[in-house]
Parts: sequence; C-alpha cells; structure tokens
Amino acid sequence: MRLLAIANRYYLATLIIVFVAGSLAAYLILKSIINQEFNEKLFAEQDQLLYELRNYENLEKTYYLNIGDLIEINEVAENPNIPPTLIDTVMYDPYEKKELPFRLLTFSSEIKSRFYVITISKSLLPNQDLMEGVSEIMLGIALMLMVSLGLLNRFIFKKLWHPFHQIIDQLHKFQITHPEQLAIEPSHVEEFNDLRQVLDKMISKSIYDYKTLKEYTENTSHEIQTPLAIIKNKAEMLLQEPLSEAQLNEVSKIYEAAGRLSRLKEGLSTLTKIDNNQFVESEPIELKAFIMSRLSGFDELVDLKGLKVDLRFEGNPILNFSNDLMYMMITNLLSNSIKHNIQDGTIRIILTQNHLVIENTGKDPGLPTASLFDRFKRSGEGHESTGLGLSIIKRIADLYDMTILYTYQDGWHRIKISFNSQKHQNHEDQR
Amino acid sequence: MNILLVEDERSLGESIITYLSKEGYHCEWAENFSKASEKTWAYSYDCVIVDITLPDGNGLDVIEGLKKLKSLSGIIIISARNSIEDRIKGLDIGADDYITKPFDLSELNARVKAVIRRRNFDAQNEIVFKEITVKPYDRSVSIHEQFVSLTKKEFDLLVFFISNQNRVITKESIAEHLWGDDMDMADSYDFIYSHLKNLRKKIQEHGGNDYIETVYGIGYKFTNH
Repeated sequence: MRLLAIANRYYLATLIIVFVAGSLAAYLILKSIINQEFNEKLFAEQDQLLYELRNYENLEKTYYLNIGDLIEINEVAENPNIPPTLIDTVMYDPYEKKELPFRLLTFSSEIKSRFYVITISKSLLPNQDLMEGVSEIMLGIALMLMVSLGLLNRFIFKKLWHPFHQIIDQLHKFQITHPEQLAIEPSHVEEFNDLRQVLDKMISKSIYDYKTLKEYTENTSHEIQTPLAIIKNKAEMLLQEPLSEAQLNEVSKIYEAAGRLSRLKEGLSTLTKIDNNQFVESEPIELKAFIMSRLSGFDELVDLKGLKVDLRFEGNPILNFSNDLMYMMITNLLSNSIKHNIQDGTIRIILTQNHLVIENTGKDPGLPTASLFDRFKRSGEGHESTGLGLSIIKRIADLYDMTILYTYQDGWHRIKISFNSQKHQNHEDQR
Repeated sequence: MNILLVEDERSLGESIITYLSKEGYHCEWAENFSKASEKTWAYSYDCVIVDITLPDGNGLDVIEGLKKLKSLSGIIIISARNSIEDRIKGLDIGADDYITKPFDLSELNARVKAVIRRRNFDAQNEIVFKEITVKPYDRSVSIHEQFVSLTKKEFDLLVFFISNQNRVITKESIAEHLWGDDMDMADSYDFIYSHLKNLRKKIQEHGGNDYIETVYGIGYKFTNH
C-alpha cells in the first residue's frame, strides 16, 4: 500500500472518531441547553397566562404566547392543588398532521375565586430540527476537513517526499554491472539527506566489493593457470621419457589431475561469473534454431553412441537471453543427455512456447533427484567430469527466473525447464 | 625454422623450448617485453609465440610491433585468460592463433606447425610420412598415391599424430584437440577409440602400416619404429 493511502487511512479514522465523539457531545450539550430554555419558557408562559387571566375580564387580543402552543383551561370545583408539573408526551399535531413530541406544563390555580387546572402544551418539533441541523453542520465540517486534509496530504506527499521518490527511481535503475553514483539533489529535509548519504556510502561500497570480487575471480583464474600449465607440461615432458610403465602411470595421473583442476577452475569461475551477474548483455534468441545449431555440433557423438534423436517442436519461443549463457545451458543439457545415455538409446527434445523438456534413456542416477543440481554431486560413473554442469544449468535458470525440474522414471532422465516467468519478467521490463 | 618464445615463466618456457627443439626447430627465448622487442627487431622468425602478460609490458604490443615491421612471422598467443574479448582482440591485431593456459605441448606444437604451413603460402605444401601424404589445404590424404576418404575428425586426428611423431600423446590432449571445451573428458575416450579404430582400418585397407601405438592407460604414440 502506498504511503499516501496509509496516511489518508489514518486521517480518516481519526476524523471519524473525533466527529462521532464531537457530534455526541455537541448534541448532549445543546439538548440540555434547549431543554432548560424550554422549561423556562413554559414557566414564563404560565406566569404570563395567570397574570392575564387574573387581571383581565376577557381574553385579550394579544397573548404573549407562542403560536402552536395549546392551552387547556378546565374549571374544577375544588382546589386540586396541583404543583406545576412537566411531562413529555406524544400528541397529534393538527398542523403537521402527525403524532409529534410535546411537552406539557400542568398546574392548578385560583383565578377570581375559581379553581382551574391549566395545561400548556409546547411542540418540541423545532428543537429536533435544530439537533438535525447541528448534526448536518458537524458532518459538513468533517467532510470539508477530510477533503482539505486529503489534499494537503497529497501536496505534502508530492512536495516533501519528492527526494525520496527520486532516490527510489534511481535505485530502480541502478545496475551493479554498469555502476553510476546516485545523482540526487540535496534536500532541505535532514532525514532524506541522511538517507542519501547512507545510500551513497552503501553503493560505493558495493561497487567496490563487486569490482574487487570480479578482479579477484579474474586474477585467481589467471594466476592458477600458469602453475597448472607448468605441472601439465612437465608431466607431458616426463611422459616422453623412457620410464617404466608404473612410473609412466604415476606421471599420467599427475597430468590428468592437472587437467581436471583446470576444468574445475573453469567451471567454478563460470559459476562465479553467473553469480556476479557478469553476463548481462541479452538479446532475443530463437530457441528452436539455437537448439538445432547446438545439436548439430553433437551429431558425431550421437552417431557414435547410436542414439536416436526425437525432436518435437511444438512452439518456437523467443527468449531474451545472454547468448553465452544460452550456449552454455543448451550445450550442457545436450552433452548430459548424451553422456548419461545408453548405447542405442534415445534423446527426446520437446519444445513448446512455455517449456523445454530434454529426456534421455539412461541408468538410475542413484541420487536424490534434487541434489543433482548441487555442486560436485554426480552419479557414480563419469569420474572425470567436474560435477558442475547441472549446477551451471541451474544457476542460469535461476538467473532468468526459470524453473527447472529433474525427474528419473522408468529408465528416462527428464529435465524440464519452464520459462513462463522469464517471459513474464520480460513483459514487466518492457512496461 | 626459427621460433621465438616470449614467456616470462621460466619453467613453462623451458618445457616449451625443449619440446619444440626436439621437433627440429631453432628456438629462441625472450623473457620479457624489452628482450622480445629487441629480438623481433633484429631477427626474423617463422613463428612467434607470445604470452600476453609480461612483467614489463603487454604481449599484444609485441604483436603490434611485429605488424609494424611488416613481419611475416606466424603469431600464436598464449594466455591465461580464457576470455572471448581477449581472444578477439588478439586475433584482430593480427595473431594467427590463440591458445589458453594450461595447454598441452602437443597441441601447441600442432598449432605451430599449422601456422608455419599457412605462412609459407605454399599451396602445394604437403606433409609426407612414409607412404602417407597429407595435403592440409585440400584436407585430403593419400596412401601409396591412392586417395583415402577420411571424416573430418579422422583427418584432424591423423594430422595431429603426424605433427607429434614419436611422442606420447595423452587421451586428454587428443580429446581437447578434436572437441575443445564442448566435450566432457570421460565420454570422449570412447569416441577417440572409435575414431582411431576407423582411421587404422582405413590406413590398412589402403596398404598403409599401422603407426599408431597404444600406450596403455595414457594415450597413443605415432611412430614408425
């Protein structure tokens, strides 16, 4: 959720609470004031009425009474001695033509030696309207406050948080392989300046680390090669000498080990390069043509092992991929499917728009299938291989968010690579 | 044939010089950039083998120097860096071949021979070994003047053998020569074996002798005794 939305949500919640509590308080206070005012008015009317009844013979032309107030005057024989009593009740209002709340003041009085019970009824209606009016005003104020706060918040968010968004934008664009320092203008907000400085430091550090690691990888592989070359060549020289067969065998083991070490180093530095994101140049690759061209490089091996190649191209996906990595991946996959095959076996390649499946006949690997992707895990045979091929494939797949699944069933090795997510990612990149 | 080796690593240089000298080449050795410049200025060589990283300079500059002198020497780069950019750069400035450390001496030797052959501009250039005649340009082989049809790999194998006569050539070295990095070593031995079997058969069918000796557990040797 965006920062703005969250802030607005909090503002809204606060406003609702304040509004409800405020309206309730305003209602109660107003109600008590109006109540008191009403009662005072009723008592004033009582006084006025008694005064008029006592002092004038007939009813006067003018009463200082509110229109709509109902006055009942009943003569009684004896003094009922009723003290002034207030009662709230509901009565039929002939003007509004419906039942409405009224307040009655009932009292008895002696006027010119006669006893009367008098009731003054006052409609409560205008007061209820007043309450509604109050609520409406409160609601109006709340709405105005909400809108203005929202706008203010949006403005603050745009203006104040601008450096923050700038930082995020630049971080999005940042690539360790083509590092550029962040170009963020200094802000007058201290926190953002802090953030900028911390990020600058962090980025410089990671650029430095990346470079160091890259150099280290390159240097190690460079430095190791020369001594390896010496070992290998010296062993090769010794092999030419008239040594005994046992001695020759020992020398040949040195020679072989040097070769293996060199291949191992090559594989590991490839893995490191993939991990370091050193293969970033990608281009659209037509997978079908790519597979066909790689496959033709293996023709001879396929023939020698008497393998049948079963091609099922049901789609021709075009992937945005590093050419080098695609080469490595397809070569490794094909080479594996030949290496772990049986004499006169079959390789089946199924390519659809969403996945690539390479199946081959072969012996049970005798290893938990998932662990085959780990470095240096290999099945018993093929001691000369580095055991890095599958982990290179896996790493490349990971890099491009493709899922890779290996299964072994009924004499068939099956590797399925799904590139749904890879294409999905490309779409996102394009947006 | 004169060969100049530009290599700062002593032990490596010794092996290369020894191996190539046995092939009948006259070998000279420059251990650094300045000596290399001196020698290339003063003498002409059929082939110059250059290590890129030198203590006092860059091997690529040696090559550029040779090109400025309009030298006709064949040039082979030996480098510890197996990077495509380096390779392309080296070949761009005029090297004939690029080989990555660690390499087999037999491989280096075969490449030196190939480079020298190409530099000699002699289309009639033939490699003759007893009754076997190889024409590298036509990629054709004849035995007792009779044409023998070989596959690409069989041909490469035969040339590799003839280039390294009387030497023990390891299986690894053959595999790398024939397939490069594309192949896992373990598999390739079977394939080498079947190629060899076919090659032997074809040579013998045309009345040639079997010069390929098996050195048990190690590799093969191409020899006429």
